[in-house]
Amino acid sequence: MDVGTLVAGLLTLAILTFLYRDNPIYKMAESLLIGVAIGYVLVVTWTNSLMALLFTPLFSRGELWLIVPFALGFLMFGRLHRRTAILSRIPIGVLIGSGAGVAIPAMLEARTLRQLSATVGPVFADGTVDISMVVVLLGVLSTLIYFYFSREQVGWWGRTARLGTWFLMIFFGTTFGYTVMSRMSTFIGRMEFLLSDFLRIIS
Amino acid sequence: MKRLESRHWVFIGLFLVVLLSMLLQVDLGVEVSSDTTRLFDYIENLPPGSTIMISFDHEASSLPEIRPLALAVLRHAFARNQRLVGVALLAEGTGIGYRLMEQVGKEYGKVYGEDYVFLGFKPQYIAAMLSMGESIRQTFPEDYLGRSYDSLPMLQGVRNYDQIAGVISIADGSLTTHWIEYAGNQYGVRVSAAVAAAMVTTYDPYLASGQLHAMIGGLRGAAEYEQLIHQGGSGLRGMLAQTTAHMYVILMILIGNVVYFRGRRKRGEG
Amino acid sequence: MRRRIPQLVCGLFGLVTFLCYFSSHPIARKIYLTVTLDYWQIIFAFTLIVGALSFVRVNLRAVERGEDRPYKIVSLIGVVLMPILALIWGIRGGSPFMWVFENIQVPMQATVFSLLAFFVASASYRGFRARSLQAAILLGAALLILISRSSIGDLIWDRIPEAAEWVRSNPAMSARRAILIGIGLGSLTTSVRVLVGIERTWLGGEK
Repeated sequence: MDVGTLVAGLLTLAILTFLYRDNPIYKMAESLLIGVAIGYVLVVTWTNSLMALLFTPLFSRGELWLIVPFALGFLMFGRLHRRTAILSRIPIGVLIGSGAGVAIPAMLEARTLRQLSATVGPVFADGTVDISMVVVLLGVLSTLIYFYFSREQVGWWGRTARLGTWFLMIFFGTTFGYTVMSRMSTFIGRMEFLLSDFLRIIS
Repeated sequence: MKRLESRHWVFIGLFLVVLLSMLLQVDLGVEVSSDTTRLFDYIENLPPGSTIMISFDHEASSLPEIRPLALAVLRHAFARNQRLVGVALLAEGTGIGYRLMEQVGKEYGKVYGEDYVFLGFKPQYIAAMLSMGESIRQTFPEDYLGRSYDSLPMLQGVRNYDQIAGVISIADGSLTTHWIEYAGNQYGVRVSAAVAAAMVTTYDPYLASGQLHAMIGGLRGAAEYEQLIHQGGSGLRGMLAQTTAHMYVILMILIGNVVYFRGRRKRGEG
Repeated sequence: MRRRIPQLVCGLFGLVTFLCYFSSHPIARKIYLTVTLDYWQIIFAFTLIVGALSFVRVNLRAVERGEDRPYKIVSLIGVVLMPILALIWGIRGGSPFMWVFENIQVPMQATVFSLLAFFVASASYRGFRARSLQAAILLGAALLILISRSSIGDLIWDRIPEAAEWVRSNPAMSARRAILIGIGLGSLTTSVRVLVGIERTWLGGEK
């Protein structure tokens, strides 16, 4: 067995000890994970962003216009001290503002209009009622009504909102089912590693 | 040692169920769903030599679930002689994505730079998606191995999404949404996805509206795909354990409800 | 002034990127690309560095105070170790940096996540009760999916996978779609409020 598999196997078991209760072995492994994960992101971001997009073009190729985003980024260091924290508002303003500018058309078109138009389709096809289409239309409308809190949910409005909660429950139940599936898949994957690579019990 | 609590017994039960199922090493066949067939047909029917972008939009935490999905899709694409451009929009997908592409590339005798490339990671995924719509070369001046974009033969003539047949987002979170809303919506690129099962219902509206072309999810999705490409893997191997784990959870729900209703009847609550 | 300038910068960048979206003119596309690629990514990279420095500072203080000292030291070693490995041997496949990633970070992170399988099983036993009609509907949908996505769904009744597929693609999808439309409208209005300066919470509490 190579050292990597041995280390990975032992650390996997260290994490699994949490199932009994919180303990020093788990805490030590968890602390190592946090440190290594931050170090990893830091290195990858430094290499892929700062070196590739900023320092190499600015200092090697003399692309002086990059001084502007460099200065904006540098202002973020202001956050490290309470008195200078205010400086970071400018780069945050750039991110928030341009983010909003980019998001408006995307949210309007991709998330709202396209979803609305997909909801309103032909209910009658070949002389018969398309049950699925009716269900979708009813589901979307009643759920939207449930989330409309500016009007008291009584009478027919309230009954429709109540129908919306049923649709929501079906959605939550379905999502729960898929979430169970997802978590089990992850655990099965770790067991496969332990049994085949680490313990070599299965092929 | 402290006395074991009821949750510990539930844990032990699940552990044993999965352990025994895996030791049995039985491959259960699976019924292939229409979702899986759709993604399979999409890759199958692309003309050989088409350029597909595979985006590794996941973290290390979901690797056990994501890996079989990614391997199945990569194997199929390489078997169909498609050219693959790998990118990672989450930092942890970088090393993983490269390793997976390298592994499957070797299996099919593919040459790096000619049949596939891995461009590496760019933070701020929305920014990366949008800027690739303008220029992939400017977004990734170098590939993951530090070679310049222009020196890679496969990328000659690949300027932006116009030269990409489609994007397949391998995701464990919401990044596919951004692919759909930014790359798909603004640049018209066809987006498909291989996602962690927990995300399947999140993407259903996009699948129904046609904004997401095709989607497979979870270990079951991987097993179905492996069956379609006639190449067994972790998906099919894990299906017995997946099935028994589901049955175990159902049993837990039923026992919990029986205990609850018996208690309620005893208390005279109807 | 402390709020005006950031607000002005925010509004200006928002307006420019918004307008550039609708133009196919090369200058507009260039501005769009520059803002999204260079400005966002560079600022974001600095943000990450600030976060990491802050983490180091907090942990060093904890070490000084003697709070969970061994654990904090291990975390700090991890943060420092990765850049050192990257600096000496690089970060390509096969380097010590990637060795640590593949054999320490990936297995531990995946295992932490896999613990959720146990907590989901435990929660199913302790909290998933059919207390009301709504809870019963939720339970029914969950059971249907769990059965259909295992290998025995079609053995029990061959229409089970089909029924589960219909539930997922129609009633469940419609509720998710309504949520999506709500989020879309909410994001849209928040974005507009940010651009015109009504929404100012991002500036923080100080004047």
